[in-house]
Amino acid sequence: MSWLLEKVNGGLVRVFLIVVALFWLVPTIGLLASSLRSPEDMSANGWWHVFSKPSQLTFDSYRKLLENGDITHSLWNTVLITVPATILVVVIGALAGYAFAWMEFPGRDWWFLIVVSLLVVPVQVALIPIAELFGKVGLFGTILGVILFHVGFGLPFAVFLLRNFFAEIPRELLEAARLDGAGELRLFTRVVMPLGGPAIASLGIFQFLWVWNDMLVALVFTKSGTQPITVALQTQVRQFGNNVDVLAPGAFISMVIPLAVFFAFQRQFVTGVMAGAVK
Amino acid sequence: MASPTAAGVPGTPAASAPRKSVTGTRRTVAALFLLPALVLLGALVVYPIGYSLVRSFYNADGSGFAGFDNYKAIFTDDGIRTALKNNVIWVVFAPTVSTALGLIFAVLTERIRWGTAFKLVVFMPMAISMLAAGIIFRLVYDQDPDKGVANAVWVGVHDTFARSSAFPNAHPGRESPLKPEQGGFLTTAAVHTGRTVALPLVGVAPDQMPDGAKSAVAAKPDPGKITGTTWQDFTRGKGVGRLGAPDPSELGYDGMRIEAVKDGKVVASTKAAADGTFTLPATADGARLRLPASNFKQPYNGVDWLGPSLVTPAIIGSYVWMWAGFAMVLIAAGLAGVPRELLEAARVDGATEWQVFRKVTVPLLAPVLAVVTVTLMINVLKVFDLVYIIAPGSSQDDANVLALELYRKGFSEGQPGIASAIAVFLLLLVIPVMWFNVRRLRREERR
Amino acid sequence: MRTTSNTIRTHRALTSLAALVAGALALSACGSSDKDKKDDGGNTTSAAPTSSVALPKLDGTTLEVAAVWTGQEQKNFKQVLAEFEKRTGAKVTFVPAQDPIINFLGSKIAGGQPPDIALLPQPGAIKQAVQKGWAKPLSADTVTEVQKNYSQGWQDIGKVGGKQYGVYYKAANKSLIWYNTKVFENAGAKEPKTWQELLTAAQAVYDSGVTPFSVGGADGWTLTDWFENVYLSQAGPEKYDQLAQHKIKWTDPSVKQALTTLAQVWGKKGYVAGGAAGALQTEFPASVTQTFTGGDQPKAAMVYEGDFVQVNIGETKAKVGTDAKVFPFPSVGSTAPVVSGGDAAVIFKDSNGAQALAKFLASPDAATIQAKLGGYLSPNKSVANSAYPNEVQRKIAQALIASGDDFRFDMSDQAPQAFGGTPGKGEWKDLQDFLQNPKDVAGTQAKLEKDAAAAYGSGS
Repeated sequence: MSWLLEKVNGGLVRVFLIVVALFWLVPTIGLLASSLRSPEDMSANGWWHVFSKPSQLTFDSYRKLLENGDITHSLWNTVLITVPATILVVVIGALAGYAFAWMEFPGRDWWFLIVVSLLVVPVQVALIPIAELFGKVGLFGTILGVILFHVGFGLPFAVFLLRNFFAEIPRELLEAARLDGAGELRLFTRVVMPLGGPAIASLGIFQFLWVWNDMLVALVFTKSGTQPITVALQTQVRQFGNNVDVLAPGAFISMVIPLAVFFAFQRQFVTGVMAGAVK
Repeated sequence: MASPTAAGVPGTPAASAPRKSVTGTRRTVAALFLLPALVLLGALVVYPIGYSLVRSFYNADGSGFAGFDNYKAIFTDDGIRTALKNNVIWVVFAPTVSTALGLIFAVLTERIRWGTAFKLVVFMPMAISMLAAGIIFRLVYDQDPDKGVANAVWVGVHDTFARSSAFPNAHPGRESPLKPEQGGFLTTAAVHTGRTVALPLVGVAPDQMPDGAKSAVAAKPDPGKITGTTWQDFTRGKGVGRLGAPDPSELGYDGMRIEAVKDGKVVASTKAAADGTFTLPATADGARLRLPASNFKQPYNGVDWLGPSLVTPAIIGSYVWMWAGFAMVLIAAGLAGVPRELLEAARVDGATEWQVFRKVTVPLLAPVLAVVTVTLMINVLKVFDLVYIIAPGSSQDDANVLALELYRKGFSEGQPGIASAIAVFLLLLVIPVMWFNVRRLRREERR
Repeated sequence: MRTTSNTIRTHRALTSLAALVAGALALSACGSSDKDKKDDGGNTTSAAPTSSVALPKLDGTTLEVAAVWTGQEQKNFKQVLAEFEKRTGAKVTFVPAQDPIINFLGSKIAGGQPPDIALLPQPGAIKQAVQKGWAKPLSADTVTEVQKNYSQGWQDIGKVGGKQYGVYYKAANKSLIWYNTKVFENAGAKEPKTWQELLTAAQAVYDSGVTPFSVGGADGWTLTDWFENVYLSQAGPEKYDQLAQHKIKWTDPSVKQALTTLAQVWGKKGYVAGGAAGALQTEFPASVTQTFTGGDQPKAAMVYEGDFVQVNIGETKAKVGTDAKVFPFPSVGSTAPVVSGGDAAVIFKDSNGAQALAKFLASPDAATIQAKLGGYLSPNKSVANSAYPNEVQRKIAQALIASGDDFRFDMSDQAPQAFGGTPGKGEWKDLQDFLQNPKDVAGTQAKLEKDAAAAYGSGS
């Protein structure tokens, strides 16, 4: 009886998940379909008409986008900005997260909460003061400046997330390692970092995506040689146009690499999750 | 939680710290671990706050001290009041719905083979920039049912239940014998048997005519009856042609309903033939003819998703679409850390899946759920891009949120003083969230 | 989480042209221009034979120019910069900026790296830049070039406190109504010259079964532009200037008259595509495309806006000049209005190079290069009308230049941003409410006056 119920439930769960997946896919499919139609067809009717008229499919929008401007150069800039910004946030955030979770110092909780509350600071607020600051120290217009900015604004979330995950690590594991004579740094690299795998992976992925997709910060803090792809794509947007033929393929071009990264690290992602499960 | 002393011991961390450093770390080591983060945060995040705080006490061009004027301004501004109200709606709904969905997805996909594929689908929106997401949802919510998916589906469902009429925009032309009445049209004069009636209208394009419509024909008089024609009195390229009489290329209003009305009562009714002609019995003698409103019903146009009343829920919908994946990924990561044995033990004890979920999974996930909800709550406080991109100008005021108002004041209205005051105010709004966190931390430490 | 702002909805008094249209139009461009030839001998500093402007030798100088232009328009402008490089030996980089450009510049200035020259779309922005001490006045030599080529009116809007700061490199003609040729033919309607004729044509279109007007009411600026044309033509340039400076109140009878006139179109049942509610959901790009898609049965027959409507027509299958035609905004009062917008080059870092570039941009040489490439209008009266690549563009340019000093700059662009330039606020919002309820003329006036008083009063 309960076996039967389980079976039905399982079926329902599957149906539910499929419906949800469709809900989640439709907007993206809409964007994809839009990116593969000409702007003329787009202005005539909705993207789903492409399914009844596959002859409308065209790569023209992609072609035009890629032959304009130096997309490859800006793509490289994006990588130069995104990779260090991600690594730095993870490393610095993990160090601080560990300290907040397992070290003893006065006012620990308050320090931690102040850091967390910084999550609320909107980037717009920081643009002008930081531009002044960078101007004074010669970082304005450099890739390093952009990276630092992203690291600063990525840290509150990183610290918040990692501290909470690290705090869940069973105390016995740390104490055992301690008894084996491990120092603080060793404890951090050999016990905490591996055990925090899933959280670190998630953090890395989110930070990567946020930096990758940023345009506002890049627009203000870069100059012609250091512009990332979002800015390069932005310069192709027509004033007053509806620009679906620029934005839709642009969105997909800039999505491809993050998704590829996700796929590439999926194994690590999954094994990280598994490793956590084994303990 | 149950501890009776919970409220009584605010104490310093040192006094109440059972989760003591396992190592008895020296403070210098702790400082070294924290230093990089604190330096960067101080220079890049705290410094701008100080800058804003100072700026918020100066006037628009920064030349003079303004005291609390900017703060006064934000509390007397209608736009900011709407923004506050909307921010409350956002903070209540967006994080909870996203977290709840993330939790459900993470738990349900755990034991399904294609769970990873599903997770990828839900996660994908995170890889899309805010700008692209905004564009996507403007496509989804487009008011035109021919372009917006949401309305295409909605109107499709609606129209299977209620059809629209054939002549939505028909109206009397010049010197017409008809005048508008209750959404339809009524002749100014009474009709009589043996005479013909002309009921010309204009405003129906040839392509919109019913498929069966034929060239309109002038009706022949019939002694015991009332005859007439109703047609589109407009010749393409020429205008009305002969006014009040059918020209060769003018089409009859196939299927137009005609009622004879006497003293407010319908005494007879009929429908026009394909060539626009109609016949009414003698009972209609002396009545006036009415083309009732049912002929002219406008086609159903769907819902104004981005109109003033629905715009905030619609944008929250798009936010959930983006951020449920965030919640799901983090909760799944937390779920990976939940000891399987506990779940299995509960199942062996005969607990149903629901009980396992409620009594074991959720409590174990509490720290992660708290991280996710708090992050989303704070994130929602500064939500800006989606509202800015999705809300059309005409309802941007109705969709207003604090961060958008900050942007508008600071970047398009040249009021950096007020913008800074809003920024400071946003920071103050985090205090309740932080307070909640302090209590949680205390509780955790006592565990 | 933290990204972006977009330019899609921002309002600029500018034009730009889709690659498509520009491409199509360029085909009919007159002859081959030797300026298009790439010259790799970067050191040829002497003025080219076609040169009408004397420029210094600037080898080794590097300059940065910031503008919000994108796409094809940016490409075309870069050709102008290339010509400058060829003539002087300087190296010029284009810096893509974002609207509102004044804030973009603010951040660059804060970082200590302003561009040498920026193109500012609003007169208000020039004023702000001068007040903050960012803008540098033009040199006597450059001013002479400006005086030679520009009518008094165009000189004046580039001045702050009597000093010339801006060179209006680019103009927009905002007094145009675009229509679907096929619909007009079917309805037997003719291009109207007066407001009355416009209403007659609209009625004919309506009778034929097509909605006459498409209004992009989701973008408040299309509504303020409508109002400005009616007001300028009806109340005259003097009142227009007074209202622009808020020297007369919005409760003035002239405003009432203009709003009542507007209501003849906005308020008439069946005249606006989608009704008021539909129009308020229609953004400017859609308001154009819906007029030129759907064959014989578009959603509307006419759409009002400036020359940049061509960009959006380029996104449909319709061809400018055959499927889509244009007529000047009809005269409501005694003369037809010419409302314009434009971008002014302003110097942010004074140097010989910057002054030379400003001078070049003020010359007919620079404007002619871009005019030939299409999608561009110059307020420079020394630019030959024949430089424009097609009939439509020539007609629009002709109307702009012919107005001499009688044109008026977009009123909402002259107003403080809080009143004339913020979505969901001030004049934008009030006219949107008016579109929703065109009967409430007095209430609209009261709201306009209240918002104007607040915005002008705060003196931003």
